[in-house]
Amino acid sequence: MATSVSAAPPTRGGPAGASEVVGRPDAHRKRMARLGWMFTSPALLFIGLVTLFPIGFSVLLSFENVNVTANGFSLNGLTTANYSLVLGNSTWHYALGFTVGYTIITVLAEVVIGTLIALVLERMVRGRGWMMALLLIPWSLVTVISAELWKYIYDPTYGFADGLLHTLGLGSPVILGSNVSAIIALMVADVWKTTPFVSIIVLAGLVMLPGEIYEAAEVDGATGWTTFWKITFPLLRPTIALAVLFRVLQAFGLFDLPFVLTQGGPGTATTSLAVLGYQATFNDYKYGPGAAVATTTALLVVLGCFAFLKVFRSQVGEEDAG
Amino acid sequence: MQDPKRAAHAASIATSARALPLPGPNVKVETHVSADTAPPRNPVRRRSVRRAAALLATTGLAVGVAACGSSSGGSSGSSGGSSTKAKLSSTGAKAPGNPTSGTINWWASPITTSGPDVRKVWIAAFEKAYPNIHVHLISAPTDTDTNRATLTTQISGGSGPDVFMGDVIWPAQFGAHGLAVPLSKYLPKSYWSRFANGLVAGATYKGQVYGAPLFEDQGFLYYRKDLLAKDHLAVPKTWEQLVSESKEMQSKHQVKYGYVFQGADYEGATCDFAEFLADAGGTVLNSGDTKAVLGAPAVKALTFERSLVKEGISPSGESTFQEPQSLAVFTNGQAAFLRNWDYAYASSNAKGSKIIGKVGVAPMPTFSGQSTPGYSNIGGWNLYINPHSKNIAADLTFIKWMTGKEAQTIQATKFSQIPTINSVRTDKAVIKGNANLLVVPKTRLVPRPAQTPDYSQVSQAIYQGVSSALAGQTSPSSAVSKMTSSINTALGGGGL
Repeated sequence: MATSVSAAPPTRGGPAGASEVVGRPDAHRKRMARLGWMFTSPALLFIGLVTLFPIGFSVLLSFENVNVTANGFSLNGLTTANYSLVLGNSTWHYALGFTVGYTIITVLAEVVIGTLIALVLERMVRGRGWMMALLLIPWSLVTVISAELWKYIYDPTYGFADGLLHTLGLGSPVILGSNVSAIIALMVADVWKTTPFVSIIVLAGLVMLPGEIYEAAEVDGATGWTTFWKITFPLLRPTIALAVLFRVLQAFGLFDLPFVLTQGGPGTATTSLAVLGYQATFNDYKYGPGAAVATTTALLVVLGCFAFLKVFRSQVGEEDAG
Repeated sequence: MQDPKRAAHAASIATSARALPLPGPNVKVETHVSADTAPPRNPVRRRSVRRAAALLATTGLAVGVAACGSSSGGSSGSSGGSSTKAKLSSTGAKAPGNPTSGTINWWASPITTSGPDVRKVWIAAFEKAYPNIHVHLISAPTDTDTNRATLTTQISGGSGPDVFMGDVIWPAQFGAHGLAVPLSKYLPKSYWSRFANGLVAGATYKGQVYGAPLFEDQGFLYYRKDLLAKDHLAVPKTWEQLVSESKEMQSKHQVKYGYVFQGADYEGATCDFAEFLADAGGTVLNSGDTKAVLGAPAVKALTFERSLVKEGISPSGESTFQEPQSLAVFTNGQAAFLRNWDYAYASSNAKGSKIIGKVGVAPMPTFSGQSTPGYSNIGGWNLYINPHSKNIAADLTFIKWMTGKEAQTIQATKFSQIPTINSVRTDKAVIKGNANLLVVPKTRLVPRPAQTPDYSQVSQAIYQGVSSALAGQTSPSSAVSKMTSSINTALGGGGL
């Protein structure tokens, strides 16, 4: 089980610890578990209230005829019409494809670049702390604020990117004005912002890898390349899986970047599921269909993550067994 | 009945004609904004305050109308006639609360960008007149979408401000959902007669008036009068003339671009398109609001918009331009002509502009062969009361004062807004100090098709098509057919 491999959930990592101190480890563990529940139950209750209730309510809305009034929602009976409206809508089809494609591409790019950065950082002897701090700046910026910065960069009249392309003799394309370039522009802004997050997680995994294996590999004469693919990458898998999971969950909810940069345009080119749901709910007051978009989106991402975990877990399991 | 022509008869016009001394044979206010409907998508998303002002602008004039309501049955709605058919009583019910004391929470987005804040100037003057009423200003989000969504959430949650400043295309949506008090329940017929023609109709939904018109706005053509004079060119009356004059000035390197307007994926693109469409002789919806009738005029309008970009008359970035971007190009001295709202006159003559004193304002051009002037889209903002307000009597006192002579004169003379009441609009001293007000009587107005409850989706279909065509991603004809099918889907209840 999780010895060295499980860098991911570090809580489980420690081989044999405090329990040896006490005579009756089982009773002690049970008591500690009870105490643990006692201490965490207020927080769990709170989380339940602020997450489970709204989620449940949203699911309920998605099955209702909802009308907005001065005294809250009026629910006018159960229906599945919201779902048939959503599932048959061509913009929803597009938004689904766009969101899935966007998620796959950005998460892939972030994981590759993030891992490379982490590998460099791991070898850095001096200034690593500073580098990490610098790296975290984009990640710690509120997305709306970084989106505003990118909006300035992409501005067709006085934007930096426009000036740069012009200077390089590449003309003056309107970056946010055509479908493909607008999508790429969003992806660049996304990768810029969240790659550091992946780097930090991967770095945490890297520093926990056991040194002996590398020594052994060196003794055996393995090249750096071989060492990476045969040792580092397999051992990092759970860490990467964790990073991917976090990122997929977030990327699938893509909202702030298109909301600020393109409003979902040109046309509907950058309309993600979240943007579509927002428009339906808050612009058109179609709370039922809006909730149906939200619910289907959540369902899809949860299913996607489970599938991903299953595949990744089994691979991790094989590594373990081997 | 949103056919503008009918509406035109109906709303016999106008705002301006009657109101201003400047005559105007040309003055035709055609509108129908009425209200029957609902969710208007907000006009302009302005992130900056300027845009805010634009918003404000967007809604105002709502003139209108008249025409629309008939299909909704039920109450009298506004059917076409020279008056709005709001059911106005001669006395009005007694409002709960104390009319001369209390606290009013007033929700309003920023209007001015620099210098004194018009909202605070108003409040100070009001509190002087009514020392026992305290007005607490809540600065609303400048982005209209957010503004409306936040308000809706608060009001439907049982709270929110007492009085709120809201878009002219909101009455139907707020009225239909019970999110605003029908003011006509309390304010008698004699009160409503102070407003320029059509404004009250624009704030009416199913026979009830929901908003008191605070200020009005509309599209204007701003031009570089210094350059036109230098080249001995006349202010363009047609789009074709605007193009040829632009080319001349561009070829002389006097300006980088000829014309800048709004074409991004947002409400503003719908406003601009509504003008081109009306110039081309088209309308968005049929008279029953049941289907899109865009057709050939829409293709002509959109093809022209696209050609502006293709021929370099307008910047290639038009498909991403909202008001601030287009205004920035103009105030930097890079464009000869600009389409924008009221506030652009003040902004282009304000500190930071490179063209101070060189800006002229005129009615919009039209396509050659059409009668001039071209159409200006209507905007502006109203004052509404939250149904949860405890002191409606005091709220009404505030609203009456804000739509009174003193408050209206303040905004017209010091903040270059277009007032809504006749007594101020016809005041010679006021007109002298407000360049836009001089032009208003010469303009011809067209509303957005906000009579349908699905307006927000109708507008979205339009602006998505416009920005896509301007970006060269879709041909104008296929953009129009996509708009048509999306609008029809939305009107049929199948929109998302």
